[in-house]
Amino acid sequence: MDWFNRPDVAAVPERAPLRVSELSAIIESLLDNPLLQDILVRGEVTNYTHHARGHRYFSLSEKGGGNTAAVIKCVMWRSDAERLSFIPSEGMEVIVTGTVRAYAPHGAYQLQVKEIHKAGLGEKFLLIEQWKRQLAAEGCFSLERKRCLPAFPVRVGVVTSETGAVIHDIRTVIGRRYPLEIIISPTAVQGEQAHREIAGAISRLAGMVDVVIVARGGGSFEDLFPFNHPDVVRAIVACPVPIVSAIGHEVDVTLSDLAADLRAATPSAAAELAVPDRLVLAARVQDLKEKLNVALQDRVAWAWDEISDLRDRLRPQKFCRKLEERKQNIADLSDRLERAFSNLLGRERLLLAEMKTALDSRNPLAVLARGYCVAEKSGTVVKSADAITKGDRMKIRFYDGSGQVIVEKVDHERNL
Amino acid sequence: MKETYETKIEQLRKIIEKIEDGNTGLDESIKLYEQGAALVKQCEILLTEAELKITTLSRDV
Repeated sequence: MDWFNRPDVAAVPERAPLRVSELSAIIESLLDNPLLQDILVRGEVTNYTHHARGHRYFSLSEKGGGNTAAVIKCVMWRSDAERLSFIPSEGMEVIVTGTVRAYAPHGAYQLQVKEIHKAGLGEKFLLIEQWKRQLAAEGCFSLERKRCLPAFPVRVGVVTSETGAVIHDIRTVIGRRYPLEIIISPTAVQGEQAHREIAGAISRLAGMVDVVIVARGGGSFEDLFPFNHPDVVRAIVACPVPIVSAIGHEVDVTLSDLAADLRAATPSAAAELAVPDRLVLAARVQDLKEKLNVALQDRVAWAWDEISDLRDRLRPQKFCRKLEERKQNIADLSDRLERAFSNLLGRERLLLAEMKTALDSRNPLAVLARGYCVAEKSGTVVKSADAITKGDRMKIRFYDGSGQVIVEKVDHERNL
Repeated sequence: MKETYETKIEQLRKIIEKIEDGNTGLDESIKLYEQGAALVKQCEILLTEAELKITTLSRDV
């Protein structure tokens, strides 16, 4: 069939610019070809998604020599999808029936699938499974091998494409959380030789950084394929510092993700895991500052308590009370002594008065008052005329006085 | 971020614990406090003076 000589195409004036819609219309009409209608296609299902409205979107891919040779986007409307007897999975080798249509708003062509039939697992997935078993046997995915990320890294290495959103996101997050030195080890992230480049980019960072982020934005199964390659997985395992991986979207798990020390959902999340947030750190420092102040205040308050306690012990109220008690005791004893003494004195006085009366009643001088007198010679009472001789000096005591006499003559009774 | 940030924070924690410990004398506590205050300052400086630096390695090795 000679498509280019069809009358309606030929009618377009030469060199006149086409409007996009006109071009789309031409493409659509070109695709309106029995060769592309109700056809059977064999390929691997990749990027299969089950849309909320029930439609299924996926790609069919074909490999040539281990790499993807061709891909076509497919859509299966809900009405057709409802008849599916199984859920197509990634890598499943299938044979589909459908029709190729252009979709002008996206400027893309796609295969509108009516039916899907299993044709065995895709070669690429088989390859990954084979690598996975082999690398697992080497211990690449063992949990014991996983290392903790450094709490305070100094330099962060980033293995990714030097252009694009991924590196931008990582820079932004690290710049916001904790600006430090980022060493970018650039690499192609897709393509036939990408696995070698990625492995090289990881190895190059050895000894330069404290933590490595290996990242790639979302992409098709084919796009992410290099991250399953053993070269990349072994480079990750050989890396002397911990590696955070963020490859594709969260649903895509590559062998690199399995080998990494930590897996992040997105490149931004990887950056957040790699560096601490300095606002959080500053808050912690602030908290420690508070604690330090409180600790010293408490220590000083304690010292005051200690001093106050010692002062009390040095001049205690108890001691003062004891002193008072002693003083009181002394006063009491003194009173008792005085009382006892005065009683004694009283009794003695009474006794003395009695004795005086008794004495008075026996006073020899009382006799004198009746006209007697007492003669004393040299202090001795003269009781007998024999005691004196003429010329003796005597003292004559009267009741109211005395006189000195000289004996002129002594008469004895016997002589009378 | 220097490696010493981590050790500074650790030292600071130890100083606080020492002051809180009843066996540390007042004079020593005051000296420790001064050391702690200096560490806080250093940590704050480390946090505020951090700068983003980007180096890109050559791809051909």
